[in-house]
Amino acid sequence: MTENELPVGTTPPFARMHRWLKRGLFVCLFGLVIEGALTVPALALWYGWPSLSLTEICSELMKVRYSDDSLDCTQPYPLSGPPFGGAPEGAGQQTARDQWGIQPVPQYPRVGFRELVRIHDEREATDSR
Amino acid sequence: MTSMTLDLHEDESRRAQKAADRWLIVGSILMGSLVLGPLGLPVFCRGIYLLHKAQTAGLSVRPMMVTLIGYVIIIDAAINSIGWGLDVFANHALITRTIFTAWGNLMDGGYFWHYNELWIGGAGAPGEKSWIIICIVVVFPMRIAAGIAFLQMRRWGHQWMIVTCWFGLITWLGYIINMTMYADVRYAGVAFPVIGWWLYNIFYITPFLAIPYLHTVNREIFSD
Repeated sequence: MTENELPVGTTPPFARMHRWLKRGLFVCLFGLVIEGALTVPALALWYGWPSLSLTEICSELMKVRYSDDSLDCTQPYPLSGPPFGGAPEGAGQQTARDQWGIQPVPQYPRVGFRELVRIHDEREATDSR
Repeated sequence: MTSMTLDLHEDESRRAQKAADRWLIVGSILMGSLVLGPLGLPVFCRGIYLLHKAQTAGLSVRPMMVTLIGYVIIIDAAINSIGWGLDVFANHALITRTIFTAWGNLMDGGYFWHYNELWIGGAGAPGEKSWIIICIVVVFPMRIAAGIAFLQMRRWGHQWMIVTCWFGLITWLGYIINMTMYADVRYAGVAFPVIGWWLYNIFYITPFLAIPYLHTVNREIFSD
């Protein structure tokens, strides 16, 4: 490639590097956009939507997080909540299981693909009995 | 070239640049919103195509690399700001509580472990809030400003792009080291620990791709 054919600002010794950087940038751009758009729907599907509503997923995750089946996500949460002054939803909870220490280790179980649906249905079945 | 044709060439270049930028800006705003990305991408690509066409036609428009780096850096900062802005200012909205804790449960326990228990709400993993706030209040706004001036081919745009991209290295390393120090909080009980996080976040390395270009480009093309 002669100097005249190079993009403005690119000198011959760096032409190849600039070309590869350009390719990398295109990959990142497409990656960011596709991944960004898929994040919300993919997470919703993974955790049980449409079998569970978003509020139910929120509540199921809260039950796992605090190891307490009686918890539910308050929806809608008062606008005066954090960071505008009020207490956060998890304030004062005593049920979360952790191995406490200078480096805490969470003790909640791993949740698999759409496992929340099964957990939710089983609880509903037990409750209705 | 006579002065008449030179003026004409300049006018046409400016017009072509403006036309391409209109598509690029609209595309970037849509992509920066995260969820509207698929609508923004084709709009953005049309801008890139127009710019490429103008370049091959011999018009003096902004180099493709400057265009790409400028816009991608802005989009990267915008997407991050939305996510982390929600964690700070809307951590009790249903979408944040559901999607963030779901994401945390899948890839990064920092967004699941004791979520919404900190007085300010949101992620409560050790150190996390400091990174979030410094990034959305200082790093990303500065980066977007640098990106705009860089796209305008200003000298300070080039200089601040270098500053913000190197700062990106500090934030990445600091963030990852912090995660590693509290690895149990971040990855115990998570569906796709570590590798999942890397696969998801690798596309945010754009500042590192920009650094070698910023230091090897002929900086005379950026003017005061």
